[in-house]
Amino acid sequence: MPSWRDHLQRLRVAEHGPALVRAVVARNERVAARVCVLDLRLEEDVPAPSAGQFFLVDCGGGREHLLRRPLSVMGYDPAPQPALIFLVEVVGWGTRRLCAMQPGEKVGLLGPLGRGFGAPAGRFSLLIAGGMGIAPLLFLSHELKSREQACDLIAGFRDSGQVFGGRQDIGSPNGVCTEDGSMGGRGKVCDGLAGRLSEFGYTSVFACGPGGMLEETARVCAAAGVPCQVSLDSRMACGLGMCRGCVKQGAGGANLCVCKDGPVFDSTQVFD
Amino acid sequence: MNESSLMTNLAGIELANPVLLASGTAGYGLELDGLLDMSRLGGLILKSVTIEPWAGNAEPRIWETTGGMLNSIGLENIGVEALIEDVLPRISEIGVPLMASIAGDTVRAFARLASRLESTGALAAVEVNVSCPNVERGGIQFGVDPNATAAVTTSVRENCTMPVFVKLSAAASDLPGIADAASRAGASGLSLINTVPGMAIDPVSRSPRLGNVTGGLSGPAIKPIALKAVYDCFRATGLPIIGGGGIYDAGDVIEFLLAGATAVSIGTATFQDPARATKIVEELPDAVTAAGATTTAELVGRLRTPRNASKGKR
Ligand SMILES: Cc1cc2nc3c(=O)[nH]c(=O)nc-3n(C[C@H](O)[C@H](O)[C@H](O)COP(=O)(O)OP(=O)(O)OC[C@H]3O[C@@H](n4cnc5c(N)ncnc54)[C@H](O)[C@@H]3O)c2cc1C
Ligand SMILES: Cc1cc2nc3c(=O)[nH]c(=O)nc-3n(C[C@H](O)[C@H](O)[C@H](O)COP(=O)(O)O)c2cc1C
Ligand code: FES
Repeated sequence: MPSWRDHLQRLRVAEHGPALVRAVVARNERVAARVCVLDLRLEEDVPAPSAGQFFLVDCGGGREHLLRRPLSVMGYDPAPQPALIFLVEVVGWGTRRLCAMQPGEKVGLLGPLGRGFGAPAGRFSLLIAGGMGIAPLLFLSHELKSREQACDLIAGFRDSGQVFGGRQDIGSPNGVCTEDGSMGGRGKVCDGLAGRLSEFGYTSVFACGPGGMLEETARVCAAAGVPCQVSLDSRMACGLGMCRGCVKQGAGGANLCVCKDGPVFDSTQVFD
Repeated sequence: MNESSLMTNLAGIELANPVLLASGTAGYGLELDGLLDMSRLGGLILKSVTIEPWAGNAEPRIWETTGGMLNSIGLENIGVEALIEDVLPRISEIGVPLMASIAGDTVRAFARLASRLESTGALAAVEVNVSCPNVERGGIQFGVDPNATAAVTTSVRENCTMPVFVKLSAAASDLPGIADAASRAGASGLSLINTVPGMAIDPVSRSPRLGNVTGGLSGPAIKPIALKAVYDCFRATGLPIIGGGGIYDAGDVIEFLLAGATAVSIGTATFQDPARATKIVEELPDAVTAAGATTTAELVGRLRTPRNASKGKR
């Protein structure tokens, strides 16, 4: 049994605090019926985000929609002008507003926030994405590959209206499936995971997606003895660890502060 | 208009301006380091502490609502000893008045917390939270009962010499009566209001949106309720009041001053923008001028009530 403390130590701690910055929409491209890719140009630089970190985005709700929306970084480019790329699925007011933004419009950002993915154990990682979970995992895949560490990324979506197949500068998944079979293979992304782990000899798993998918992934990985890091989702207000609004109960009933200590945790910290 | 126009005397505490950060929405202050210049604030009210650390309530703990949010954090906190050891030495460096907020499930717990905190010498005042809607015992149950409010206030008063602010809930059926009970028991001032009890339901799954089922509403949606609470309690007691509930800009601050608040607290708006409180401080002089005054102090309680104001006369 790998001790979660060992893994915890490998989880990267953000070196610099988050910044409050303004950004301008450089490009907003609809990539599926409900999904868009938002390219933002930052007016001031932010500490370089690492994969798994996120920003709280002010969607312009003012007094009516007070809370900023958490979005994972899908891509970051420091030069020539710092830019961030987000993947956004329309689910409610804020994401609808973001997907309707025109080039030149401004948004407020707070970040980078939280603790991203830690270094992989061993040499060959499997990245498993459910829905918009593909955003931080494409960033991770990019990071791993730039350090010449091998990885595969598989992505599952509900239906074709949610599918993001990647982009040249961001990368793309090695395999895509949908639950209704409307694009790619039919099924859930962690179907047959146990077989896949032993067949390809993955030494590390990273997962981001709905809770059920994470739990299933963690269970299979634990049985196979493969260390697994999961990125959790939670409603957030401050993103800074100060309101305790995002706290979830993890393994043994311990409090997990998703915005500050997460969103990435070792799966053994999350699931009993 | 210059900065001295914002100088505030709050029950003997000298504040550079009347803008405080509310309890629970700014954590222990340290988390905001680098995002807003805390030395520009009037002061900071720390997250409520209890004697032992508390784990808080089940998830989900927050839910956005129209013009506000519900929370059911349940006073998760690190406990008073960790506050004293880890937080106070670091947060004292910013050099603005700090207020501790205390919570507990017995009268004795409040007394112990007050004396323990006073002994640090790091605090300008203590806020007594008898109005949290999210704990089973010791929250709002004290604050809606005049006798319990008086008992808690007396025990805190007797166990510390710092100014004591009693934080109340607008959910009390006779809020001015409770405020009066706190006043008679020796409160130096009042803090109004805590979140308003509320809930949200998912119409599809038929389940509550909060893990704790019910929670407390905050943000602009509660401002009218908060203003009336300040107005009523100021008239009933004349005590200095920290007013808050839905403050979002400098105009809102002026409204609270006019209703009778001496200082104000910024809570949920900090989530919209962590630097909002200092922006409000910057905007405040212009808002004072717009209200036809030269200092914030001269606006306190100076609501112009129409001469023909009536209450449903026949
Ligand atoms: C760390 C993290 C990273 C995320 N990354 C992405 C991403 O890269 N792309 C993407 O499309 N989505 C992402 N999400 C989910 C995204 O934050 C929500 O879909 C979004 O907040 C919904 O806002 P809304 O105004 O459209 O919906 P509404 O339902 O109107 O939102 C109401 C409130 O609920 C909150 N909320 C609703 N759904 C969620 C949710 N699933 N998670 C957290 N808060 C929620 C909102 O933030 C808001 O406070 C991420 C969530 C977290 C916690
Ligand atoms: C997430 C959250 C946590 C809070 N925690 C506390 C607390 O610990 N003690 C307390 O006295 N009030 C607490 N409050 C209440 C606020 O201090 C404030 O009284 C209330 O939110 C109304 O002001 P606002 O509308 O400006 O937020 C909390 C409010 C929120 C939203
Ligand atoms: S969102 Fe406030 S503590 Fe995590």
